[in-house]
Amino acid sequence: MRLTKIMTTLLSGLPTTLTLLIFSFIFASVIGVCLAWLSLRRNPVAKGLARGYLGLVRGTPPLLMLLLAYYGLPKLFLLVGIDINDWAKLLFGIAGLSIGWSAYLSEAFRSAYLSVDPGQYEAALVVGMDASHAFWRILMPQTLLIALPNVENLLIGLVKATSLVYVIGIMDMYNTATDLSNQNQGVYQLEIFVVLAFIYWLVVLAIEWGFRQIRKDYQYVTV
Amino acid sequence: MLLELKNLKKTFKNNHVLKGIDLAVKEGEVIAIIGPSGSGKTTMLRNINFLETADAGTMTLRQKRIDMAAPTQEQVLWTRRHMAMVFQNYNLFKNKTALENISEGLIFGQNKSKEEAETLASRALDQVDLLDKKDFYPSQLSGGQQQRIGIARATVLNPDIVLFDEPTSALDPELVGTVLRDMKRLAERGQTMIVVTHQMAFARDVADRVIFFADGQIIEQGSADDVFDHPQHERTQRFLSAIAEDY
Repeated sequence: MRLTKIMTTLLSGLPTTLTLLIFSFIFASVIGVCLAWLSLRRNPVAKGLARGYLGLVRGTPPLLMLLLAYYGLPKLFLLVGIDINDWAKLLFGIAGLSIGWSAYLSEAFRSAYLSVDPGQYEAALVVGMDASHAFWRILMPQTLLIALPNVENLLIGLVKATSLVYVIGIMDMYNTATDLSNQNQGVYQLEIFVVLAFIYWLVVLAIEWGFRQIRKDYQYVTV
Repeated sequence: MLLELKNLKKTFKNNHVLKGIDLAVKEGEVIAIIGPSGSGKTTMLRNINFLETADAGTMTLRQKRIDMAAPTQEQVLWTRRHMAMVFQNYNLFKNKTALENISEGLIFGQNKSKEEAETLASRALDQVDLLDKKDFYPSQLSGGQQQRIGIARATVLNPDIVLFDEPTSALDPELVGTVLRDMKRLAERGQTMIVVTHQMAFARDVADRVIFFADGQIIEQGSADDVFDHPQHERTQRFLSAIAEDY
């Protein structure tokens, strides 16, 4: 089998992989920020809720998280009278990965927030900003910059974790590869998986490049 | 009186840091507060602008009386908008340029337009001779430059009082002079200032009144000549004789 054939077949799964990656990352970040906010509250209930979710999610393998999302979420939603059985598999894949990665991202955001120099907040207050402006103008941007290396690592981890969605039958790049391999009775297995690894590596390189650009833009901001 | 503090008290756990401070500040007055480390000088400044909340005490600023132990959010904001502070470690916003550091308070504290804020910020930068650094981030500036921008950030707000918390303590000795020069200029323009400092020469040169602080209390106060040349209290004498500096 020609390399170009392998390449084009595998690339047909790339949009699904990227869709999973982008949406899971967005939702995981949103949930992660909310979790970090909860766990930084003084309120013990809020803190407890966040810590409980974190413990549970971090203690569950991502593969299992996908299965739980796929089989569990429809049952959970049915309890409140919403039928999501007809949702596309892709949505369950995104849900599973988002839940899994939200816990890691929330810890990245929380630790970054705690690393911001408290003097920055005080300086914002003494120039007359209220707490909300101080947060959005000064603390939040610095938190994001501190969290950047961790977030980059987690995003790269998520690229690889998208391959786990084969377990609920989503035809992402990895599943396309195993499918192609099976169709050929495993004859071109090695070639197929080397090409697959190469494509994943390119995706990771693109992410690394993107983060390098962000770092370059903020090279003089030493937080 | 522009500012009057009465019976300001603050305790951290069992440590009585401020034991009932009374202080009155006239418009245009420059007050230097000297004293050993840990005597409560910085804590007093931080209580005045509510970065910490006192256990007891009242503050009257521009005839407005505020219970320092239980200020309302509105009073806190009002006070901060009438005062400015220069920190020991500069505390410039690390994610903002020099110009933005100065304009930010004008825009978000005083609701000025971006254009107006930037014009005022440029002028303030010019006054500390750093207009050419307006697009630089704090990490690109020396400690002395950062502190002078800290001073510009404080004064651009046109505050009634500027609080200085050991503004030269974190600087290399060779950079201290430029910062003190800017502070002196400010004093000459009639700015009311409360300066916590270890720079005795500056206190003697610029301050209208020197206050010696120890163990959470004002031990002695008077003109620089009185305090430095004829200290009345034994604790002041001991402190001054322990200082190697020629003041």
